[in-house]
Amino acid sequence: MIGGSISRWTMTYFAAALTWLLAALALMVAGIGHPAADLAAPDTLVLVHVVCIGWLSVAMCGALFQFVPVLVAQPLFGERWVLPALVLLTAGLVSLLAGFMALGARLPSAPWLLPLGALLLVAGFGLVVVDLGLTAWRRPTGPARFVLVGLASLCATAAFGAVFAFALAGWAGRMGDAVLARGIPLHAIVGLGGWLTLTAMGVSYRLLSMFMLAPDVEDRKSRLTLAAGALAVAATVGGGAIAIGLELGLNIVLSIAALFGLACAALYGRDIAAIFRTRKRRHLELNMRMAMLSFASLAATGLMGTALVSTRTLPLHLGAFAFLAAFGWLSGLVLAKLYKIVAFLTWLETYGPVMGRAPTPRVQDLVAESRATKWFAIYYVSVWMGTLALLAAEPGAFRIAAAAMMIGVVGIVHEIIRIRRLEDVASTLRLPAGAVAPHLLFAKT
Amino acid sequence: MTDQLVEDIRGALRVVIDPELGKNIVDLGFVYDIAVADGAVRITMTATTPGCPATSFLKEGVQAAALIVPGVASVDVAMTFEPAWTPDLIEAGVRASLGFAAVN
Repeated sequence: MIGGSISRWTMTYFAAALTWLLAALALMVAGIGHPAADLAAPDTLVLVHVVCIGWLSVAMCGALFQFVPVLVAQPLFGERWVLPALVLLTAGLVSLLAGFMALGARLPSAPWLLPLGALLLVAGFGLVVVDLGLTAWRRPTGPARFVLVGLASLCATAAFGAVFAFALAGWAGRMGDAVLARGIPLHAIVGLGGWLTLTAMGVSYRLLSMFMLAPDVEDRKSRLTLAAGALAVAATVGGGAIAIGLELGLNIVLSIAALFGLACAALYGRDIAAIFRTRKRRHLELNMRMAMLSFASLAATGLMGTALVSTRTLPLHLGAFAFLAAFGWLSGLVLAKLYKIVAFLTWLETYGPVMGRAPTPRVQDLVAESRATKWFAIYYVSVWMGTLALLAAEPGAFRIAAAAMMIGVVGIVHEIIRIRRLEDVASTLRLPAGAVAPHLLFAKT
Repeated sequence: MTDQLVEDIRGALRVVIDPELGKNIVDLGFVYDIAVADGAVRITMTATTPGCPATSFLKEGVQAAALIVPGVASVDVAMTFEPAWTPDLIEAGVRASLGFAAVN
């Protein structure tokens, strides 16, 4: 395949994801969920699933529908499944959140809401996994392997989650209750570490090489990085299931997974440093500079985890650890890359069809980096302040940090809308003859 | 006559830019060959990334730009990634303005 096509619904996924991110930040500013509530409290479950499914997973799926075909130079297996998957994911998440709110007595008791939500989410993620998996499987090389392991981790995460939902409704029997009682760390590790982190790593290899014109990371090196990550996931799922089945402790399993996870993060750092070192474009665009802050956050997450384990204080500070992983590493990277991807796709949609017939602007003419820099700076600084506030057990300071994060995200969303509306393109180049202005929420081509 | 037509086509292709690098594809060295026979033109070109959606737009843009050159009856564009494009194909002055590192 010489050139891929533009994914019609990727912008729709991004818009839905950003809406969920703003909802999550509103909950944090309002003091709903951790740290005001216990980590296992229903309010915290609402917050965690808005972040992990609504924001991170939906944004990741939208990006993958566009980029997996680029990674493997093959068309998407089923374009017509993309929008139904988003509808199922949204309906499933709303049902799941309502179920958690009922558990916390914020809504009238309705035990069926959690299993219904789980079934809808399994159906939605099932469509995503089959569509992306069959596409990546056509040429499972390099970064596409990371996506395949990420999708397998998504299946395991969803399976654990579905068992929990049925167990909370009282419909899963003794085995389901045992999994619910001890399986939550496994669900969280495989979701954040396997699905979201390994997939983000795989996509970042290609995006960084492509936009900085750097040679691809040697296959042998990225394979080793993936092997460490895949072993961490396998140890968590396989070892965890055996430990629960045999009623053994989980400490050994989690320690092995942590060692493989740390090795994976260190090897990934080595690979990314090589891409930056060998890049042919010396100037770094804003999205790359901001991605570097997310890599620094990943390194800080690893160091914090090591320090907390060695001082036996991980259970006490699990919230701060997960917050830095979710918002410093994953959300930071996704926001930085959204800023670039939206500009690139908007350029292709608007100016690609008139190329050769009229002068066109550059992708960089669609963005105003000097204005956007401050929003990213506010975001990252407030994430790091929020992490410190959680470590210091200062809920008031955490809410202030969350409010600052919200200001940063609103600013970034405003910049993304301006990109979509071509508001920063010089008027002489904005809409050449034959060009059609893009729709805010989906691609017309 | 043929040489002049090739130069006219090369000039017309300068309206097509790489959206990321922001420079025209001729100066970037994307155009590997332009062959003309009785008004039938065959252009062999490349791009930075196979599979990227921009690649098909570049190909269509080259076809559209070449077709409006007087003397051109038909245009066939072949996209190839052999040999792969490298920044040392960029014209020296343009390479410096893009801030490229020495080719490694």
